[in-house]
Amino acid sequence: MKQFALWLSTTSPSVFIQEHNAWAIPAIQSIHIVGIALVMGSVLMIDLRILGWAWADETLRRTTSRFGPWLTGSLWLLLATGILMVIGEPVRELVTFSFWLKMALVAVGALVATIFQNTLRRHEQHWETTLIHRRSIKALAVLTFLIWVCIIVLGRLIAYDHVWGSWSPSERQ
Amino acid sequence: MLDWLQRTSLAVQIRDSLFAFPLIESAHVVGLTLVFGTIAIVDLRLLGIASSQRSFQRLASDTLKWTWIAFALTALTGALMFITNAAVYFHNSYFRAKVLLLVLAAINVFVFELTDGRTVQQWDQAPSAPRLSRAIAAVSLVIWLAVIATGRMIGFTTTRASLAEPAPVETNFEDLLGLPADSGSEPATPPAKE
Repeated sequence: MKQFALWLSTTSPSVFIQEHNAWAIPAIQSIHIVGIALVMGSVLMIDLRILGWAWADETLRRTTSRFGPWLTGSLWLLLATGILMVIGEPVRELVTFSFWLKMALVAVGALVATIFQNTLRRHEQHWETTLIHRRSIKALAVLTFLIWVCIIVLGRLIAYDHVWGSWSPSERQ
Repeated sequence: MLDWLQRTSLAVQIRDSLFAFPLIESAHVVGLTLVFGTIAIVDLRLLGIASSQRSFQRLASDTLKWTWIAFALTALTGALMFITNAAVYFHNSYFRAKVLLLVLAAINVFVFELTDGRTVQQWDQAPSAPRLSRAIAAVSLVIWLAVIATGRMIGFTTTRASLAEPAPVETNFEDLLGLPADSGSEPATPPAKE
């Protein structure tokens, strides 16, 4: 992976970002933060609806069709800016424990969001009348929110991978 | 004052800990994403871009209490980061710009409360707010985007005060520029600690 990261850092898109790093890196990171903010807002609102703490006067379907597309769209924005960040700073990103753990959680978070939106579309009645009242579903909503919180924390920890001690590949010389 | 802040035992403890600053900063990001995410919902409603069929007051009461909780977390963690290196942050232009933007954001909310906020009953169900509120919502979105961007720039233009670590990880992208081909050492990360 380190070899790949080093190779990637010599490619022309990477060199371009590195040469303009004074504004390019913070700008890409800022857009990335805006993307995760839109994800957090959307996930929070859908989860609050499942818990019955907000939007309780409208159907789950309605809340989800308000926020689902923003969630999905923001995930694509995050993927695009995330790829740019990896291209711009391959070694800093790829040679960390935080990055790979974050990617695993992103896969889980994105999968949950996709499965949820799909099953809601297919089994709308079942969701509105039965599933939304189940404790397990409410617990899952809280868990999903916490997964996204962890994703943010791990994203920030990429810059501080030493907190993982010997788990961090950059610590192993 | 700044000097005193930096020397408080809380500031020293955060500086000395390997974990405290990264975790406080992470919590700051969690808080600010929730602040922006929830404010965007309200602003987009005012602009008539999203949730336009929903009562504004209902939407605002469902959303803004979470904004305040998240803002409290963000402000607290921001203050904790500030005291670890108060003099440096205080003199940083991006930090000053960010504080100014936060003041502008507060004024913006006050203007809303004193104008269309008072007549909300009249346009509560309308698909978009009156013209002034739409302008306030657009200004709000721009201000908060600028808050995020200036906040990120603070991390790139200040070196972290730290006793435990040798290098500020945030600025290490510069090291990549002079990357040697057969790099045996790791340029983008701090040297291994003992």
